Amino acid sequence: MAITETREETGTDLAVASPLVPAPVSFLGTGEHTVVGVVYILASILFGVAGLVGWALTGIHGATGSFLSDSVAEQVFQTSALGLVLLVLVPLFLGIGTYVVPLQVGARTIAFPRAAAAGLWTWLLSSGLFIVAASIDGGFGGGRPEAVSLGLLSVLGLILALLLGTVCVLSTAIGLRAPGMTLDRVPMTTFALLAGGAVWVLTLPVLAANLLLMWVDLRYGDGSLSGSQGQFAQVAWILQQPQIYAFVVPGLGIVADVVATFTGTRLERRGLFLVGIGAFAVLGIGAWAQPVLFPDASEQLVWQVISVAQVLPVLLLLGGLATALRKGRPALRGALGLALVSMLVLLLAVVAGALLAITPLDLRGSGSAEVGQFALVVAAGLTMAAAGVAYWSPKMTGRMPSDAPAKLGTPLMLVGGVLAGASLVVAGFETKFSGIADLLDALTWISVVGAGILALGLVLALLGLLSGTRHGAAEAGADAWGTGQTLEWKYASPPGDHVLGDLPVVHSPEPLLDEEA
Amino acid sequence: MTTHLLPPAPPVERPRVLLVATSFAAAASFMLFVAALGVYLLARTEVIATGSAWLPQGVVIPLPQPNTIFMTLLLSVVTIQWAVNAIAHNDRQNAFLAFGLTLAMGAASIVMTTYLWTLMKLDVAGGVQGVLIYTITAGHMIMLIVAMVFVALMALRALGGQFDSRQHDGVTAAAIYWHTMVFVYALIWIIIYVTK
Repeated sequence: MAITETREETGTDLAVASPLVPAPVSFLGTGEHTVVGVVYILASILFGVAGLVGWALTGIHGATGSFLSDSVAEQVFQTSALGLVLLVLVPLFLGIGTYVVPLQVGARTIAFPRAAAAGLWTWLLSSGLFIVAASIDGGFGGGRPEAVSLGLLSVLGLILALLLGTVCVLSTAIGLRAPGMTLDRVPMTTFALLAGGAVWVLTLPVLAANLLLMWVDLRYGDGSLSGSQGQFAQVAWILQQPQIYAFVVPGLGIVADVVATFTGTRLERRGLFLVGIGAFAVLGIGAWAQPVLFPDASEQLVWQVISVAQVLPVLLLLGGLATALRKGRPALRGALGLALVSMLVLLLAVVAGALLAITPLDLRGSGSAEVGQFALVVAAGLTMAAAGVAYWSPKMTGRMPSDAPAKLGTPLMLVGGVLAGASLVVAGFETKFSGIADLLDALTWISVVGAGILALGLVLALLGLLSGTRHGAAEAGADAWGTGQTLEWKYASPPGDHVLGDLPVVHSPEPLLDEEA
Repeated sequence: MTTHLLPPAPPVERPRVLLVATSFAAAASFMLFVAALGVYLLARTEVIATGSAWLPQGVVIPLPQPNTIFMTLLLSVVTIQWAVNAIAHNDRQNAFLAFGLTLAMGAASIVMTTYLWTLMKLDVAGGVQGVLIYTITAGHMIMLIVAMVFVALMALRALGGQFDSRQHDGVTAAAIYWHTMVFVYALIWIIIYVTK
C-alpha cells in the first residue's frame, strides 16, 4: 500500500479488543491509529516529566547562582522550553488526536496510516537526537558546532514529523467524516484540533525556515546570519505570545467534550464554543511577531491588541462551560476536575499575557514575566491533556481506570501551574515595586517547587492511564462513562481494527444522545 | 452497559483525503518559502540601508537563466493541467504525453538552476547573501524534485489504470502541489532575480 493511500474500508460488526500497546513486533510495524496515538501520549508524558525537571534545575541555578555553569544552565533552560513545546505539548495533543479523531468522526482508520506511523517514528528519532545533541553541548549557542548542527537538524526533523502527523489528523477530520457530520457538527476535540492543527501547519514551517537558514549558515556560511548568540532568539518566538497559545488550542476542545459528557447535557449555544476556539486559534498565529525580524513587534499596537483580545475567547468558553455545569448534573470525576482547573490556569495565562502588553507596567523588561506566562500556558496545556488522557483512558485500555490519580492530580496541576508561572509573573514587577526585588530568589524557588509539582501531576496522569491495564479493573463498555455523546463512545473499548460495519448517519453534534432520545 | 445502535447510512462516496492532505502540505511548503523570503528581504534592506550594494563585488546574477526557468515552469503549469484534463476525459494518450512533458520541463529547470549557480560565482561562505540565496533556491529545487516524484508516481498509477474520469484525485493532488511549486518560484524570481 502506498503512503498516499488510505486503507480500504472493509468493516465488520465485530470489535476486537487490543492491549494498550501491542507486542513489540506488531507495535513497530503498525499504522494503527490507536497504537500510534498511545505511543505519542506515553512518550510525550515521559518527555514532559524530564522537561519539567530540566526547568526546575535551571530555576535552582537561578536561585543559587552556582548549581550549574551559566552556559549549561542556559542550554538546559532553552532545551527544556523548546522541548516542552515540540516534545510534549504538540505531540501530546497530536497523540490524543491521532487516537480519538478517527473514532469521533466515524472513520475506521486515520487517513494515511503509514504516513502517521512514519511521523511518529521520525518524531521519536528526532527527539532522541535533540536530547543527545543538547547533552553534548549542542544546544542553541552551544560550543561544539557539529553538535549544534545536529541539534538544529533534529528540530527540523521534529517539525517535519509533527507536520506529517498533523496533516494525517486534519485530513481525517475533513475527509473521513460520517455522513451528516458537517463541520459545525464535529465533536469539539476534533474541531479544536482542526483549528489548532491548521495554525501549526501555517506557522511551524516558518520556524523550519529559520532553522534551515541557521543550519546552512552554521555549516557552510560565515555565521553572520544569526551568530551563536542569536540562535535561540531566532526561534524563541514560538515560546512567546501569541504563538504559544496556538499549541494549546486542541485542549479547549478536550475540555468542552469532557464537560459535556460529565454534565450529561448538550452544550448550549455550541456556535459560541466554535467561535471561541476558532478565535483563540486565529489570534494565536504568531509567526509574524518574531523579535529577531521585528525587534519592536511587542511595541506595536497590533501585538498589544491581540495580547489583550486573547482573553475574550477564554472568557467566552468559560461562560459556556459554567452554563453547562449549572444546567447539568456534574459527575465528580477526576477528568472533569482537571478540565476545569486547566481553564482556570489558562485564564491566568491570558491575563498575564494581557498584562505583558500594557507598556506602563514594564513587565517585558526583565524577561521573568514572559517566562512565567510561558509556564502558565504550558501548565494549562498539560492539564488539558491530562484531562483528555483520564477521559479517554477507558477507551484506550478497555478497562475502567482508577479515578484517584486524576482526582489527586487536579489540585496538584492547579497548584503546580500557578506556582511555576504566577511566581515569575510577580517577579516581573520588580521594577515597579521595590519589595519584589528582595523576593526574587524566593519567587524563583516557588517556581521550582511548582515545576516539581507539575511533574508529579504528569506522573499521576500516566499512572491513571496505566491503572486501566491492571488485573481486576472493571471492563469498560463501549460507552464507558454512560453519558457519552460523540461517536467514539459507540465503539468497543478498546476499538478493534474494524470498529463499525455500517457508517452511522449523524443528525446533530451529539449523535449518541439522538439515539437515546 | 448500553449499546447504541445508529441507523446505517447509504453507501457514500468517500471524500478526497489526498486532495485535502496535499493542500495542507502545499500550504506548509508555501509558508516555509514565505518565511525564508521574508528573512531575505529584511537582510537585503538592512544591507542597502548602510549604503552598500546588496550583492558582493564581482557577483552577478544574470537574468536570462531565471527567465528561462520561470517560462519553462509556467509552461509546465499548462502541461500538468493538461494531464488532469486528459485523465478526466479518459484520454490516456494525451495524459501520458502531458505527464512526460511536465517531468521533462521540471528536469530542464533543475539543469538550468545548477547552471545558474555556476554563473553567479557567489560564495556561500562569503556572507549572508550566499547563505540566503543558496538556501532558498536549493530549497526550491528540493520542492521541485518532490513535485516531480509526486507527478511521476501518479503517472505510474495512471499507467496502472488506477485513475479515470470518475476518480482522478491523485493526479489533481499532484497538480495542486506542482502549481504551488511554480507559484513559489514566481516569488523567488521577482524577489531574488528581478529586484536584486
